[in-house]
Amino acid sequence: MSHLHIPDGVLPPLVWILGAILAVLVLALSGRFTRHQGPQQIAFQSALGGIMLAVMAIPMPITAFDYCMTLAGPIGVLLGAAGALQVSFVVTVILALLGQGGFTVIGLNTLVLGAGAALARPLYCSLVAWLKPPGAMAAATAISQLFSSALWIGMLWLSVRVAPQSARDHEIAHALVWFKGGALVAVLVPLLGLAVGVEALLGYGLAGFLERVRPDLLPRSAGTPAPSPEGVKP
Amino acid sequence: MINTFAQVDYLASAGRSVWHRASAFTKLLAALAAVGAAVFAPGWPALAVLLVTAIALTVTAQLPPRLILAAATTPILFALLFVLASWHGHLVDALVLGMRPVISSLIALWLVGTTPYPDLFAPISRVMPRALGDGLFLTYRAVFTLLDRIERLWKALFLRGALEGPLRRRASMMGEAVGTVVLYGFERSQRLYQVMHLRGHSGRICGCRHWLEVREEDAWVLALVVWILLSSLYLSGVPRT
Repeated sequence: MSHLHIPDGVLPPLVWILGAILAVLVLALSGRFTRHQGPQQIAFQSALGGIMLAVMAIPMPITAFDYCMTLAGPIGVLLGAAGALQVSFVVTVILALLGQGGFTVIGLNTLVLGAGAALARPLYCSLVAWLKPPGAMAAATAISQLFSSALWIGMLWLSVRVAPQSARDHEIAHALVWFKGGALVAVLVPLLGLAVGVEALLGYGLAGFLERVRPDLLPRSAGTPAPSPEGVKP
Repeated sequence: MINTFAQVDYLASAGRSVWHRASAFTKLLAALAAVGAAVFAPGWPALAVLLVTAIALTVTAQLPPRLILAAATTPILFALLFVLASWHGHLVDALVLGMRPVISSLIALWLVGTTPYPDLFAPISRVMPRALGDGLFLTYRAVFTLLDRIERLWKALFLRGALEGPLRRRASMMGEAVGTVVLYGFERSQRLYQVMHLRGHSGRICGCRHWLEVREEDAWVLALVVWILLSSLYLSGVPRT
């Protein structure tokens, strides 16, 4: 749900062009925060990006349908906002080259996937003062997933608002009417709930494991400096 | 999807068609022209020509029919939601909405199926900040190693019955399994960092230099760009229905 997978030619150009410009600005900003990072951090980001892609490729037998995870929340917690946005962009570009989501929606996909991931670490750092790391990770993952989904729906709404006179926006307006119609909501809301629940449980298991074997990889509560993989000796 | 990854990667390096011998830069330009033409084409005549062109490209690139079919049908599943949602009795509008993503997906397959990834990422990474450019190369490399590990892990989980039982237990176990992969990825990144140092990493992965080597075969790619632009411009004036 948090990954659009919308192919080329469906959204109005104004929306995806704005998305692309916004994504460039956000990535440039993230570049300012990470400009002093060494190759070790880039290698770590890339390893997590690889995990994100590999995990997305494996369908999980959760219900009668297979569900593809994104791991955006846990990766956002491990990397922080700037790193998570950069990883989201790289993953989105590679997916677009494989025909999963269009070239023109790379910007929007990055924003939707990356924004949720970027939110995850601040949430985790706030929550870990109250909860144990697995619980904080699960909650941060769930909230970031819901945030991404809200952005996805907001993007559709924006498609209608930006240029309501154009034919394609009319189509999107129809899509929203259909959403409101109830039939789709009845299908999507339970699926979204299930997806958020599964991602949260995965985050719970992941944080539980890391807490036991490598707690230094997990960020600490707000106010405590987060550990960096650069500081960890191999 | 990852099997597709591996298959496309192999085809890009092992293929012998005229498109494989053309430079990555001109192919990238052709792909951008084709996707742009598909997205902005106002009606079905131009899209029909682009679709035939895209199919011809994938066939002449000697890509397997199964892969071509997969590339053509995958975006349809996602576009179907929008086609159904926007359905108001006009078949042509639905056709236009459905054809655009198919063309784009076929063009993407043609591009990645005929261009090895170092050549493909080299021009893209040049216009990106260092972290993103290097990330493209390293992430792509990491996928294959990590996927192999994840697949083995999933198999082991399945055989040991970890994929049975209540959802809470299954998801939590899978989370722990993903944790081992994260740890492996972290350790791998440490080794990679040391290798980069040993090999004299200068602060940026530049990829190879083949991407801009213009050859005779690039004339075919330039002819393709001219064909796409001219046919799209000409057919844009043709009535839609």
